[in-house]
Amino acid sequence: MTEPGHLPRLLLTLAGITVLLFLCLPIVIVVPMSFSSASSLEFPPPGFSLRWYQAFFGDGRWLVAAGYSIVVALIASTLALLIGSIAAYGLVRGSFRGRALVESNVMAPLIVPQIVTAVGLYIYFAKLGLLGTLFGLIVGHTVLAIPYVVLVMTVAIRSFDLRIEQVALTLGASWPTMFRRVLLPNLAPSAGAAWIFAFVISFDEVVVTIFLAGGIETIPKRMFNELVLQVNPTITAIATLLIGFSIITVGALALLMRSTGTVRKALG
Amino acid sequence: MIFTKRQLLKNSAGLVALSALGLRAGPSRAAAGEFRMIEAGGTSGESIEKGYIVPFTEQTGTRVLRESPSGLGKLRALVESGDSSVPLLEVSSPELYQAVALDLVEPIDWDVVNPDPMFDEAKHEYGFGYQYYSTVMAWGEGERAPKDWAEFFDPEALSGKRTLPDYAAYILPMAALAAGSSIENIYPIDLDKAFESLERIKDSVSVWWQAGAQPPQLLKDKEVQYAAGWSGRVAGAPGMEFTYQQGLLDLAYFVVPKGVDPELKKAAMGLLHEMSVAKNQAVAAEVVSYTGPSPDLEKLLPQDRIGEFPTTTANKNVQMFNDGQWWFENADEVEQRWQEFKLTL
Amino acid sequence: MTQSPTASIRPGRSARAGRLGATGLGFALPVSLFLLVAFDVPVLMMFGWALTSAKGMFAPFIEFFTRPVYLKVILNTLRIAAIATVACAVLGYVLAYWLRSLSGTARLVALTLVVLPFWVSILVRSYAWIVVLGNNGVVNRGLMDLGLASEPVAFLYNDLGVVIGTTNLLLPFLVLPLYAAMIRIDGRILQAAETLGASRWTIFRRVFFPLTVPALAAGMVLVFILTLGFYVTPAILGGGRVPMVANMLDMLINRLPRWELASAISIILLILTVLLHLLYVRLSRQAGN
Repeated sequence: MTEPGHLPRLLLTLAGITVLLFLCLPIVIVVPMSFSSASSLEFPPPGFSLRWYQAFFGDGRWLVAAGYSIVVALIASTLALLIGSIAAYGLVRGSFRGRALVESNVMAPLIVPQIVTAVGLYIYFAKLGLLGTLFGLIVGHTVLAIPYVVLVMTVAIRSFDLRIEQVALTLGASWPTMFRRVLLPNLAPSAGAAWIFAFVISFDEVVVTIFLAGGIETIPKRMFNELVLQVNPTITAIATLLIGFSIITVGALALLMRSTGTVRKALG
Repeated sequence: MIFTKRQLLKNSAGLVALSALGLRAGPSRAAAGEFRMIEAGGTSGESIEKGYIVPFTEQTGTRVLRESPSGLGKLRALVESGDSSVPLLEVSSPELYQAVALDLVEPIDWDVVNPDPMFDEAKHEYGFGYQYYSTVMAWGEGERAPKDWAEFFDPEALSGKRTLPDYAAYILPMAALAAGSSIENIYPIDLDKAFESLERIKDSVSVWWQAGAQPPQLLKDKEVQYAAGWSGRVAGAPGMEFTYQQGLLDLAYFVVPKGVDPELKKAAMGLLHEMSVAKNQAVAAEVVSYTGPSPDLEKLLPQDRIGEFPTTTANKNVQMFNDGQWWFENADEVEQRWQEFKLTL
Repeated sequence: MTQSPTASIRPGRSARAGRLGATGLGFALPVSLFLLVAFDVPVLMMFGWALTSAKGMFAPFIEFFTRPVYLKVILNTLRIAAIATVACAVLGYVLAYWLRSLSGTARLVALTLVVLPFWVSILVRSYAWIVVLGNNGVVNRGLMDLGLASEPVAFLYNDLGVVIGTTNLLLPFLVLPLYAAMIRIDGRILQAAETLGASRWTIFRRVFFPLTVPALAAGMVLVFILTLGFYVTPAILGGGRVPMVANMLDMLINRLPRWELASAISIILLILTVLLHLLYVRLSRQAGN
């Protein structure tokens, strides 16, 4: 069992690689297309060109959309990380009446179909005059990012031994000192992961954004509208930039976690 | 408390910044100096910008903020929430009648608009018909051209995959024609016959499109050979041909959401006036080949591309007009049957 | 939910050991208040539409149950979700099992590749399939060049297209927890079985697989729930021929402003999802033990 024979082993490897290929195929295909000289989506590309990158960087509207996406994602993910992590700590270490309720409520934005959330927020924000405002968009994205933060942080806090905290406190550390010297350094890598997760959730969000954003354009909203209104290979250039950005952040995250030894724990 | 003082400071600074952002981008600033409009988006939106908003802002100094896409859902949200900051919203002709029935719109102040000459159908009590568009037959380069919708709807006479609109209002009239109605007596539409035509062709339909960009893309990708698509998308596009023969002509309207700020409404009527000016319509038609409601527009259009525009005399005469009133009266039944039909695909 | 997740993770320790006790509520307060104001109230208000319809309190629900078309769309969504879930389960199990057999750098690289698609826009990933699977796409040209097909295979704009796109997007949600469960299995149990003379297949069937079932089931429920709310992928890959409930809601809200009915359908969808979620919580707790 632990050491499969040669033939099954080969078959397993083949099957595993096939599934992995299926998983990554869309990414594999998008990157070369972004360097294509064709004026529509074609694979394989007929020639090499940087025209779609020029189209992206030369178009003020894409850059404005990128700016909004980054601002919204930065603020929403930070806000979600802050209140989400605190809540995760309370949920794991506390015991109080209604905890199950709080826990379900925190997870609800993940479970409620996004279109339902989008419509609810749309009518509500319209009443409050928040439609088409950056503030409203940030609030909407924060709601969606919170469950992911809580998920990641709950697991991290749970796997962090409570006794270490207790020892620190018994040895005379005040709660804030314990938090700063024990909790924070140990949970920082997971918080980093949760933060990046939340950032990506917000950065990629399209359904709620379409409803709430009004005149504000974000990258996914523009992409969706472009896909609907005219097929434009600029999208592949943006996707490639995003993939590059993701690989860099994932790499950074891996380094971050390796430096604290969590990678071994996380990967078994 | 687990907050350090510095963190607390940072948090409250963040909150202040947040609310400042909210205020800055909020609708509260939509005072007389500017107003918002909701339109369909894409090149059509750009044509509004170039053709009408630019001259309007030059003359009045009032800025116009475009938002897209539009739809009855957005209209209803504006009205129900009491948001009075959007004086103009774009709807299609069946939507216009529905909006009136749902009591979501105010009459246009035609006295304030004081329009240049316009086609009659564009001057509705509740709607300013600003843009003609047409749903037409199109086919990939090198394919045999369909004679009429009857042939288009006959998979045996004309083999090849189709793409049709996922909107009953843009395909049922053609289906009725294919079932033997004539352009003159197409309304009231015989629903049984029209759905029979759709049943006959449904296996040859690869895609029921929702976005105007899909038909030309699908033709170009050879995903389909024949399309019923919007004229502005297929006219003049490379790799495909089209005809206005038996096309379905329709009007996009601007309506005024109920309860809008009277100041903004007054300003918006000024923009509608710009939309009635033939010279401006010619600029808009350069951006997208849909045309405005002025009878004088034809001679201002680029003559080398004159066949691309839906309302030239030659093209208008061979088309049929969609009957918004009928669509409104039968909306419920049609929608129901349409959804049921879609489930049998 | 009588048993708290923490209690189940740390069996034998009383709730007293949770250092915060009731103060935990204070920690959860900011998030709860935020969600109350920015999520609960709006969603409940939305539900109000179904109950305060001008046609009568339950009119939208009556319409839902008396006109077969809405129920059919929900059933179709469940069907697509079920197919995608099974596809994810089969592919995911193979992938997780293979990942488990890797070691060192190979494992790290493979895991990175599993996680990587998470970071790429759903829009882009859905759209890429058009280029891959279209009539003129890579796969069809390959098939025709090899003589395996005489005319293009219709991968897109049907159930198959939606299932392929959905499976691709949701596979990581199943693989990662399943993999985590697989590497938690104590190798000594397997060795013991081997020592007792069991064949590899028997060990897999009788020992290994049963140990992974809770994680597999939890992952499947998660994938199922997520598919129910899918909107972008069916819109792009369904060609208007695969009615899904999220797209129907979009239509009822944006095109026909029939919010009362949309709200009623949302409530029904939510009840369905919550029930499934309770199942998920149960299963993942089993998987954790």
